[in-house]
Amino acid sequence: MTLQHVGKNVPRVDAVRKATGEAVFVADIVLPRMLHAKVLRAGVPHAKIRSIDTSKASAMPGVKKVVTGQGCGMLFGTCLWDQPPLAVDKVRHAGEPVAVVLAETENQAAAALKEIAVDYEKIPFVLDPVEAAAPGAPLIHEKNGSYRRVEYVVHPIPGSNVFHHYKLRKGNEQEGFAKADVTVEDEFEFPLSSQAPLEPHGAICRFGADGDLEIWASNQAPFVLRDVLADMFGISASKIRVHIPYLGGGFGGKSDVSIEPMVAYAASFVPGYAVKLVLTRGEVISGALIGRGMKGRMRIGAKLDGTFTALKAEMYFADGAYGDTGWPVDTVAGHNCTGPYEFPNAIVDVYGVYTNSPSVGAYRGYGHPEGQFMSSRLIDMLARKLDMTPAEIMRKNFLREGRKNALGQTIKKSNGDLFGCLDVVEKALAEEPLPPNDERYIYGKGIASMMKSPKMAANAASCCHVQVNADGSAFVNLAGIEMGQGVHTVFAQMAAEALELPFEKVRVYSDVDTQFSPWEWQTVASMQTYRGGRAIQDACRALVAKAKETAAKVWNCASGMIVYKEGVCVHPNTGATLSLGTLARGFMAANGLTVGEPLAATGWYRVPEITEPDPETGMGNAAGSWTFGAQGCALRVDRRTGEVKILHFASAFDVGRAVNPAAARGQITGGVVQGMGAALMEKILFTDEGVAKNVTFPAYKIPRLHDAPEKQTVVLLETPNEEGPWSAKPMAEHPIVAVAPTILNALRDATGVEFTALPVTPERILEALKTRKEDK
Amino acid sequence: MRVLNFTVNGTPRTVHLEEGRVMLASVLRDSLGLTGTKVGCGTGQCGSCTVVMDGKAVTSCTVPAEKAEGTSVLTIESLAEGGVLHPIQQAFVEAGAIQCGFCTPGIVMRLYALFTQNPDADDETIMNALDKHLCRCTGYETIVKAAHLAQEKLRAAR
Repeated sequence: MTLQHVGKNVPRVDAVRKATGEAVFVADIVLPRMLHAKVLRAGVPHAKIRSIDTSKASAMPGVKKVVTGQGCGMLFGTCLWDQPPLAVDKVRHAGEPVAVVLAETENQAAAALKEIAVDYEKIPFVLDPVEAAAPGAPLIHEKNGSYRRVEYVVHPIPGSNVFHHYKLRKGNEQEGFAKADVTVEDEFEFPLSSQAPLEPHGAICRFGADGDLEIWASNQAPFVLRDVLADMFGISASKIRVHIPYLGGGFGGKSDVSIEPMVAYAASFVPGYAVKLVLTRGEVISGALIGRGMKGRMRIGAKLDGTFTALKAEMYFADGAYGDTGWPVDTVAGHNCTGPYEFPNAIVDVYGVYTNSPSVGAYRGYGHPEGQFMSSRLIDMLARKLDMTPAEIMRKNFLREGRKNALGQTIKKSNGDLFGCLDVVEKALAEEPLPPNDERYIYGKGIASMMKSPKMAANAASCCHVQVNADGSAFVNLAGIEMGQGVHTVFAQMAAEALELPFEKVRVYSDVDTQFSPWEWQTVASMQTYRGGRAIQDACRALVAKAKETAAKVWNCASGMIVYKEGVCVHPNTGATLSLGTLARGFMAANGLTVGEPLAATGWYRVPEITEPDPETGMGNAAGSWTFGAQGCALRVDRRTGEVKILHFASAFDVGRAVNPAAARGQITGGVVQGMGAALMEKILFTDEGVAKNVTFPAYKIPRLHDAPEKQTVVLLETPNEEGPWSAKPMAEHPIVAVAPTILNALRDATGVEFTALPVTPERILEALKTRKEDK
Repeated sequence: MRVLNFTVNGTPRTVHLEEGRVMLASVLRDSLGLTGTKVGCGTGQCGSCTVVMDGKAVTSCTVPAEKAEGTSVLTIESLAEGGVLHPIQQAFVEAGAIQCGFCTPGIVMRLYALFTQNPDADDETIMNALDKHLCRCTGYETIVKAAHLAQEKLRAAR
């Protein structure tokens, strides 16, 4: 059957309410008896708290309560319980919350903050992950190694700042490099950066007199949040209700939990009051979850024909003050640092290191950009050494049917077409030859290929509830969070397809509420279209089966013979029909006698047979899906200013099926520009005293319109597969993964300089061009 | 207590201002419930809080409330009065220029001010206006498209 909704550029279901300003975000929510919170942050990166005096602040106008962490014995986490909701006896980064003032207005709360006196005993601090991992570094967590943790997945080194060591041992290092004719090796740096969603994080928490906790939060993971808080407070998860309104962007920075435990802890001191906190931009960058922060070294060995023989990598992650959100990123960076290539031998060590900086969590790409930055740059270097093109080396080593990835999993044809992606990108770049260098500009081109496989809990699943109304319309209920990626639109398209209903007749519930929404692991890893879509298919299949059963009762025939088509059950012999609406509450005869069940059904999907990696080899069936792609760009460098202009950026991804091609293009054009920010502009800087200093716009510079590429080419390949709903696969984070190496490879082409640390700012380019001249 | 008198979306308003620094964005959102105006940075850099004040686009998070005295302010809520989308809003919907939607109201109001004053604004002028805004989702491609589409729609309606 030809598809009616999947694959069509349906306008977004949330567009009108967002265009009018009607869409509700957490900052827009006002509750009765609501207090406003302001947070006192440490201001010093590493110190013991000798005392906190809140007496003056408590007496300020409008102040209801000043909450500190003194006496708080709680730690929260999902796999590693190392973080209190507020600093207790020491602070571990300058943005760490030390006290929360609850007042009638924000201004009153802000005024009272200034009256809190904290006496600190400063301790030496460390920001660099390599230094922090070295012996003798200031110890950030004395209890590292003895915190409660899920032992199979988190591997701390007690007595050090390394709270997680992921090792991959595929094959043999010595044998692999012995077979190599050439090797390339370098050191790389991917700095700490901000996901920088336009909407700052916010949360409202309210404890009732009955002990129930109700939360409204800008969060991608309502059920994780609920379970983490239930665990932290030692109350039943069923006593906690989490509402999620629209999110103004997330990019991972709002996944897991960030500010909510602190707000909930503060709210627990004022039962009956709602406590609202919306972060300032400065707090988003210095006091919530941030991203990346990798320092690494990688070596690749290859035969003269370009065939890879071995890869060896070490990565140190500046994961910040607390480790629960960092360790899985580290593991994934290890799994995927090979990129979409087969290495018969791959030896990788990744260290998640406590540093005196904000905690690192998910950031679009989740470990993949960090590791593949290294391999993609090294392939470019190797090509010059072997006098081959980078594309030739890529094609030689691409994962394809029958090849094994770093985890030892065998790739199938249906996993995607890297060759097709690279062909398309090369062709797009070739269509527009670079102008010759001139007095002012030098030009260059670069390419990189990528793969991403989502990291998830092995039991991660999506659940779906579908119900039909008496007018034949249907509503679909899932807990996938709409944060801009278009998930509600894509859900509606897939549900309309599965139920064969007009698009207008399908409604996806937009407010996620743990009291009513079916369970969902969390909206991360680009899994909603794929996993949520399969759950929708499952629920819709069950719903149609139920409709047929009721029709069979009405017609007194076998349900198996009934045909379902476009919202109607059809009797194949008599041609009689019964619409979904007629069957919605069971079928009611003229006299009122009713048969059959009300039309509602549930469905679910879990990526099958995922396991955590083996603690010794780091291998196993840890990746349940792959999406492959390639990117390339043409750029020009202004010799006088060092400024880079991307003239053309081409992307090709094998998405299996684009459920909404326009929305998919939007993910890609946006991801490319976000990746460009990482490549050329973005880095959180710290003062000599260890305090994040560029925490406002524009000190923290993210791309504006004039920075964006002059042109983007986007091509979506659609290799049929048995995994995704109508073949649709994850694709939302993917556009960012290869952007930095693509741009740096092009910069190498233009300038002859091998940049290996991000961001490559105009100042660094000018400096490098000067050095290059001196070389001549 | 300080009092602010101004016109918002065509209606005269009187707002009592609390002690301390109060910005126009806070008056609109917290005192008047006009939450379509978003605050993304608090420093006038992201443009999410853009409203039109006496015909000019301003970032309401950097305008002290007192400066609004006697002025006429238009917010995103004024554009679709009666439930019919303004052509600029319609253009954003049609061009697929909306993802998370947090930056959208501000950009729409910036273009409203621009096209009201200069319906035939050239590409460079439009680009300079859009350059005052940050969007982390779209990569700007569809926003540029929406701005041009909006201009066409407004011209056609003239």
